[in-house]
Amino acid sequence: MKRVISSVLFAVMLLAIAPALAQDGTTFTWGTFGNPVSLDSMNTTDGISFRVITQGCEGLLRFDKGTTNTLPNLATSWETSEDGLTWVFQIREGVSFHDGTPLNAEAVAWNFNRWGNTDHPEHFEEFIFTYYEYFYGGFDDESVIASVEATGEYEVTFTLNEANGVFLTNMAPTMTSIHSPTAVKEHGTAYGDPEVGFVCTGPYQFVEWLPDQRVVLESNPNYWRETEGNVDRVVFQVIPDNAARFAALRAGQIDGTEQINVEDLDAIEMDDSLAIQMRPPLNILYVAFNFRVVELQDARVRRAISMAFDREAIVEAFYPPGAVVAKTQVPPSLWGFNDDIPFEAYDPDGARALLAEAGYPDGFSTMTIVGADEDGNVTDEVVDQRPFTIWYQPVVRPYNPDGQAIGEAMASYLADIGIDATLETRDWGEFLQLGREGELFGIYQLGWSADTPDPDNFTGTFFINTTNPLPRSGWYQNPELDALLKTARTTSSQEAREPMYQQADQILHDDVARLWIAHTGVPLGFRSCIEGYYANPVAEYYSTVVNNCG
Amino acid sequence: MSRYLFRRTLEAIPTLLGTSVLIFALIHLIPGDATNAILGERATEEAAARIRALYGLDRPLTEQYFIWMGNLARGDFGETIRGGIPISLELSRRFPATAELALIALFLATLIGVPIGIISSIHRNSLLDAVSMFGALLGVSIPIFVLGLLLIFIFGVELEWLDFVGRIDNDISIPTITGFYLIDSLLQGNLRAFGNAAGHLILPALTLMTVPLATTARITRSTMLEVLGQDYIRTAHAKGLTRRAVIVGHGLRSAMLPIITIIGLQMGGLLSGAVLTETIFAWPGVGKWLFDSIVARDYPIVQNVTLLVAGIYILVNYLVDLLYAFADPRVRVAA
Repeated sequence: MKRVISSVLFAVMLLAIAPALAQDGTTFTWGTFGNPVSLDSMNTTDGISFRVITQGCEGLLRFDKGTTNTLPNLATSWETSEDGLTWVFQIREGVSFHDGTPLNAEAVAWNFNRWGNTDHPEHFEEFIFTYYEYFYGGFDDESVIASVEATGEYEVTFTLNEANGVFLTNMAPTMTSIHSPTAVKEHGTAYGDPEVGFVCTGPYQFVEWLPDQRVVLESNPNYWRETEGNVDRVVFQVIPDNAARFAALRAGQIDGTEQINVEDLDAIEMDDSLAIQMRPPLNILYVAFNFRVVELQDARVRRAISMAFDREAIVEAFYPPGAVVAKTQVPPSLWGFNDDIPFEAYDPDGARALLAEAGYPDGFSTMTIVGADEDGNVTDEVVDQRPFTIWYQPVVRPYNPDGQAIGEAMASYLADIGIDATLETRDWGEFLQLGREGELFGIYQLGWSADTPDPDNFTGTFFINTTNPLPRSGWYQNPELDALLKTARTTSSQEAREPMYQQADQILHDDVARLWIAHTGVPLGFRSCIEGYYANPVAEYYSTVVNNCG
Repeated sequence: MSRYLFRRTLEAIPTLLGTSVLIFALIHLIPGDATNAILGERATEEAAARIRALYGLDRPLTEQYFIWMGNLARGDFGETIRGGIPISLELSRRFPATAELALIALFLATLIGVPIGIISSIHRNSLLDAVSMFGALLGVSIPIFVLGLLLIFIFGVELEWLDFVGRIDNDISIPTITGFYLIDSLLQGNLRAFGNAAGHLILPALTLMTVPLATTARITRSTMLEVLGQDYIRTAHAKGLTRRAVIVGHGLRSAMLPIITIIGLQMGGLLSGAVLTETIFAWPGVGKWLFDSIVARDYPIVQNVTLLVAGIYILVNYLVDLLYAFADPRVRVAA
């Protein structure tokens, strides 16, 4: 009996350590830290889902590899009327969806109408369409898009309610990818689920999605464009733990990954079989003021807080290589960046003097909170008094690698100028909700990663509609800024828009409306035998990847 | 006996109902709801209100509770709020993964833990005893993530002997019959798949077994020590029985009740998922799923799966009681 048991165990061990049989073709395995939510690009808001969808679904435009410039894609050309209200796109001929149905103007118009019209039969109420609402200002009559029509077999005409400077750029990100109308109708609310996946026109088509295990795509044999890479199978391997994922990279079980622990970056640099690429920064960590706090209504106090922080030391201590100190909300790599704005110098003496000038020679440790009326205007009525608080972000984000540690550093900088701050946080969901409702009293960390490479996606997102104070903008009010940003959004020409965003950042700087802390590049780890990967903050396409790992 | 079984089944109902109230209250006591997880950071208040209305999150809590109970009574586990995936489908995928790992880990823990406990008790206060109990203490004390990552780096990365990502290699597919990969691969005569699945199981099972192994060893030792000091053991020795017959036949037999209890309790715990082990080894089980769902406030998952886990606990306890009856004739007579 003993012999039988040992023979069986030996056989199991042998089978277990036997190398896997060679697969046909070349696979690129990306180690991902989480599971996609949905593979319908309008039914999700998370980066992991978008990363998968990007490999198989395409929009009218796409981003050039490694840059944020847009190129024709499913649209070959386009024209706009002088008033910017009509856009006519010529759709590429001879393209078909993964299910074999043809791509034409009808299919493109159908997608936009499905997203934007709440009475469309496939505008499923269980689906969120958040990015349509966000890109185009709402659904139905609220949308900036008045109508989308097929005006020829391969011609689509968009009519807008008002000119929109971001309209064309918004045709490139993954969210506005065109899906097969036939597939969406056939699968109904199951479209985008693990059982169905996506049916689009891109270089890879859906094979399987086993939640919390992997998503597998394989090359689309009928893809319309020549691709540069040699990968004919893409696997997204879910490995939630950063250290285990890095171990998988070292063991060659995955070919590339992100969210690498800072201590493992050194190990990559010392290992010839591994390589690092830096995804350029297109994000921001900021510290917002809550303007219902009386002490913070004084610009001198806000400036003093700004001068108290040694941003360079914060970036040096807590950020991975590739991060830069921020002086505006718009990152330096994006058009609309205003390089004339000076960096806020670390000056605790100056900060103390400013605080004294504002009437706080000994600093302060409590804050006075006032109310807001029904229209959202901040009133004089004192509603509460609490310890002055720094709210730190409870989750790791590329732009905020360690909210608590950065919060503690900020508290010590403030203590140095006499402001005694309490550190506080909440569960992430509640933190976001409190932020939206303007209930994070004191100062609070939050951040932003761009959806589209347009300064409107930064400044416009936060400061349009500040004629009435917005709770989610910390009750900040600035009608001049609001008007400027609205003009910038409704202007078509980038040349005309650029100085407006530069001026907007100048206004924000002069008003000390917010504190800009850091823009962060994201380190990506690869096996050295992987080439042709273009790190890009808005979309990374695996069809250019060359796997030489053998 | 059947009356006893019937009574125990009836007793389970109020326990489950109480658990359901507790779960529901606890998850709803945490501020925030699923809208943030669904809509992300770009959410508007209008969109959040729309989602709340759609999933009935804006209704009174008592109404939400009774809707849940009503659906449950019809056997409807509902869909995940985030992603809209049927929960029963997800459970049918994930529970076998958790159960396979838990059963193997507990099997190994029992296979090694009970003999260690017996040997320690026989050689009480010897070097062997000290080493065994120090090992057991280490097993309870070492954090799972430290042990898991250590095993990964030694056996997965440096020696490259064993796989450590998921349940099976991506190029091997096993049509699902039971969801237990070891069983399914054998049923299909796919030895390569069996070996591969077994290889993937070794490191997570070794990691997961440490705590139950240590606990089982310590309980076995202390129970055996108590039993071996009894008069009837001395009598058995005096009757001239072999040492082996005394220890196994008289000592272990009597010590089995607490050992079975502790193994049963651990089984219940392991079946509810091992969050850390599942996270480190990318094991697509129930634990990590439940954890993520609590963070995302995906109420249908949290409520239904936690209730199911509570049910499993009750069931395991039930089975333990039945095992008592086999191990101890007095229980049979009393029943």
